[in-house]
Amino acid sequence: MENKLHVQDLRISFRTGNGKVQAVRGIDFDLARGETLAIVGESGSGKSVTSKAILGILAGNSIVESGEIIYDGQDLLKISEEDFHKIRGDKIAMIFQDPMSSLNPIVRIGRQLTEAMLLKGRIRQRESRRSFRTYLKSLGDRMAASAANNEERTRAAVSCRKFQQFEKKHTELESAYNTAHEGATEALDDIGIIAFELEKNTVAKGAADRIKDIARRCRESLNKYVVDPDQYKSEVLQNASALEENFRKKDYTAALGNLYRLRDRMAEGAGRPKPNFFRMGYYMTFSDKPLPEMPLEELNDFLLDYLEKDFMKVFLSDAQRAVTYSAEQCYERIRRAVRELEAARPVYAAEQLDKKQCTDTWKKLRMTVKETVDPLAVSKDSLVYTFSPSMKSELDKYFHGAKANVGILRKYEREKRKYDAIVAKGGKPDWELADAAVTDLELIKANLSHIIDRLAEHYQKVLDAADSRDYHAETIGAIDYLMQNASGIVDRVTPRIARHRAIRLMEEVGISEPHKRFRQYPFEFSGGMRQRIVIAIALAANPDILICDEPTTALDVTIQSQILELINKLKTERRLSVIFITHDLGVVANMADRVAVMYAGKIVEYGTCEDIFYHAAHPYTWALLSSMPDLDTNEKLTAIPGTPPNMIYPPKGDAFAPRNQYAMQIDFERQPPMFRISDTHYAATWLLHPDAPKVDPPKAVMDRIARMNQRREAKLEKGTFSQAGRDKNE
Amino acid sequence: MNNQEPLLRVEHLCQYFKAGNFVTKAVDDVSFDIRKGEVFGLVGESGCGKTTTGRSIIKLYNITSGNIYFKGVRIAAGIQSYKDELKATKDPVRIAELKAQIRAARNEQKNCDKEYSAKRRSELKSEYEPKIAAAVGEEKARMEAQYKDALRKARRTRLVTQIQMIFQDPIASLDPRMTVREIISEGLVIQGERDKKVIDEKVYEMLELVGLVREHASRYPHEFSGGQRQRIGVARSIIMNPELIIADEPVSALDVSVQAQVINLLNELRERFGLTILFIAHDLSVVKYFSDRIGVMYYGKMVELADSDELFAHPLHPYTRSLLSAIPLPDPVYERQRRRITYNPLAEHDYTVDQPSFREVRPGHFVQCNEAEYQKIMTEISSK
Repeated sequence: MENKLHVQDLRISFRTGNGKVQAVRGIDFDLARGETLAIVGESGSGKSVTSKAILGILAGNSIVESGEIIYDGQDLLKISEEDFHKIRGDKIAMIFQDPMSSLNPIVRIGRQLTEAMLLKGRIRQRESRRSFRTYLKSLGDRMAASAANNEERTRAAVSCRKFQQFEKKHTELESAYNTAHEGATEALDDIGIIAFELEKNTVAKGAADRIKDIARRCRESLNKYVVDPDQYKSEVLQNASALEENFRKKDYTAALGNLYRLRDRMAEGAGRPKPNFFRMGYYMTFSDKPLPEMPLEELNDFLLDYLEKDFMKVFLSDAQRAVTYSAEQCYERIRRAVRELEAARPVYAAEQLDKKQCTDTWKKLRMTVKETVDPLAVSKDSLVYTFSPSMKSELDKYFHGAKANVGILRKYEREKRKYDAIVAKGGKPDWELADAAVTDLELIKANLSHIIDRLAEHYQKVLDAADSRDYHAETIGAIDYLMQNASGIVDRVTPRIARHRAIRLMEEVGISEPHKRFRQYPFEFSGGMRQRIVIAIALAANPDILICDEPTTALDVTIQSQILELINKLKTERRLSVIFITHDLGVVANMADRVAVMYAGKIVEYGTCEDIFYHAAHPYTWALLSSMPDLDTNEKLTAIPGTPPNMIYPPKGDAFAPRNQYAMQIDFERQPPMFRISDTHYAATWLLHPDAPKVDPPKAVMDRIARMNQRREAKLEKGTFSQAGRDKNE
Repeated sequence: MNNQEPLLRVEHLCQYFKAGNFVTKAVDDVSFDIRKGEVFGLVGESGCGKTTTGRSIIKLYNITSGNIYFKGVRIAAGIQSYKDELKATKDPVRIAELKAQIRAARNEQKNCDKEYSAKRRSELKSEYEPKIAAAVGEEKARMEAQYKDALRKARRTRLVTQIQMIFQDPIASLDPRMTVREIISEGLVIQGERDKKVIDEKVYEMLELVGLVREHASRYPHEFSGGQRQRIGVARSIIMNPELIIADEPVSALDVSVQAQVINLLNELRERFGLTILFIAHDLSVVKYFSDRIGVMYYGKMVELADSDELFAHPLHPYTRSLLSAIPLPDPVYERQRRRITYNPLAEHDYTVDQPSFREVRPGHFVQCNEAEYQKIMTEISSK
């Protein structure tokens, strides 16, 4: 599965008046596309801090000590705030815990929903245009470079120019269609409302403006592929002006008649399928003949045939040649880069790093690594992109640290002499000497060589996979990418379109009467409805990753259930990756594909949903499972004794040891590593060490698992139970 | 003690709120009993009136209509229903009756505490007078002082102090400017306790009871974690020696592990003092675990009331079914198969002809239904 997000060795602390609170202490996880990862733990275990780090909204007193969060070829911990603007909300969105405080109380719901769409719309258009041009140019260049003879070379140049030409036609056609189609659908919606009001004879203030608006939109909808002007032009125009006229004269019955006629027309127009403008653009640019009259599906096929025969077959083979050529060139460069990386390794492994040498090598490496990026590859290769910034930041830390260490040590020595003097005199100072806060240069060096190693390994993998690459599929992917960006250029978001989309979004998240609700303020919504609005805002920009920070903790069961179903539905529809933060294990069982249990800033257990619920291995997971009642619990609940540790002074051994009834001596002395239980299931507890005594989970957990198995078997025997339940529901 | 004796009886309780011309029926004709020593769970979605019911019982609102009896004494009475009937009727006998009832209701609502304290005083009188008469010298003076003190306290006693409340949000419900000692002892002080020593002793006893230590008494609420704060809230309500505790979502704002601590604490206290608890919550697993009987509310109405096992095994009202089908359980396989049943009152019921009422379909199992539905439920039950 495609990996969307990769978090490695993340460490975050907070400066406070009493000292440094270590909130997150080295966590790693991956998030695949279309997957839900649940992070479970008590409050203060660092789960929210992790999610905030991913979104780049950590509090001002936070320090990111180490680690990386890699998304789409960028390390989110190292990019600038300006770059983050492009990602936050657009690619990664968040649903917050409290729906009341995450909405602006004095701004209407509609404004809040469309805000992001309007802000992002223009930027997206611009980016689509840019990537379309650069991609087509590099494709053309590669085509020319890989040509075997002059004839092929000219053909490549010509076809690229052709592509650009008919792409222009394509965007023109599609843009016109978009305007007309939006006009028709919006007019349809508004007609419905105003017709209702007229029927009930309750015409609100400002109805005249709305009528005007409807008439205007109906006129706009005249397009060959929406409301055919050849056939209906006069009808629509007449009805629209008659509508305005009748309404002015307060002849509502006549106005209603006009509205109904317009509604039928618009409904037909809005319901028509969208033709393939890419193909049509080509035909209209290069064929001398006019478009043949035939039904849409046949027309699409006909156009496809024409495009294939006339252009696409040759273009595809040329493009494939270019893609192959480009990839092969890249392999050559990768081999060179691997050699250079090998050569650079001793520079960064020296006893004392030499600043000039290091920087020069880094600059050289940066160039070589940058060259290994294939401009024709559609998906980005994250490690290659993050290599040089990571190196740079580590190097900066090293040289700055090396300089500062001298001063810090000198100061420390002075303090120590003072302290020792007091002790030697027999005094008992009431303060303790803090350790010198020196930068660990060795650690940085280790990090540097790790970065190099990782890239080298990655390159090796790429080279190994060279034989099994499917160039044909890649070429088709490339053409799709071009088409997508071309459509993106004309995808203009005006306030009107944004409003329309927002209303559709509100319908999608299950808010009734979205037209009315659109103009209301947050306080007019109930808790569940407010949370739906928050979800709709999060989805407004079509994100890849959705972070849900306890989205249902403040809601009651029925609403919770609805919200969870909604998130699940959207997840499957849009293939979202979801990070779900909660302390309610029932909710986790519902939502998660994989679960990470966090305690005191560390992931203590990690596995699929089944692993965690049926084969939990960490005492903390057991404790969590046994401390919540389910419907069959009768015995006393086993609460976890004590409180979570103070993270200013994190414990030396396993952080959970003081509250753990299964703790052994070693738990207080050394931190347990992650033990592997199965390919998907890991847990950090010494109980899994081969030398450890065999311990069974507490009775409450065992009982519950037994009960769950029973229930499942009972259900299997019945067989039809769930089916029956579903029928009833529908 | 007879376990069937109702400690609290709520009859046709209505609580309406007026906002301009619009009347919100927060609680609409709800009746139930709470027996001594049991835990009565009240569930429903937010806004269905469960908290309002709790608050009406403790007399935080003046109820619109209906009666609330605590230990057989009518502590709250609404007069709206009488007034409505008064307007409709023309029969002079009935009018006189109704007027008398309204007077009685007003009187009792106002004076139930006074009467209780008078009763308490006369009890004290009969207890102390023979003692004082029998005692001589110094003993007599001491006795007299004691009697005076007890009388003073009795004058301030109110019946309603025997109902105490634990609130949902442990952060917002504690005054940040008071120490824990002041918070816990506030009720005692209001009741006229002046002896510092006695207060301290009681506060320490309560702290230890709820699993805190004496040293915590001089601290402020912000120094505690959420679970500890909720314990302070429990201690504050227990110190008044209540018979009935209204726990309004006491664990909703807490972490799972802390939730278990607080529930265990309440369970212990209940066993130790024989407390009766009205437990209001929306987490159904917790309610099922904790309560003996459960009432389900929907939009201000009680739609179903039964023993907790009975309710979960045989839910009869469609809303209860939908509510039960929404409970998430920590079992992934089950969760993937779980289908939520939606409840749409307009589609489920046809109340245009026959209005529903609260009927007993099985011993101890009540459902809100009309005649047709009642017949249907009865055939359903007998066919099982």
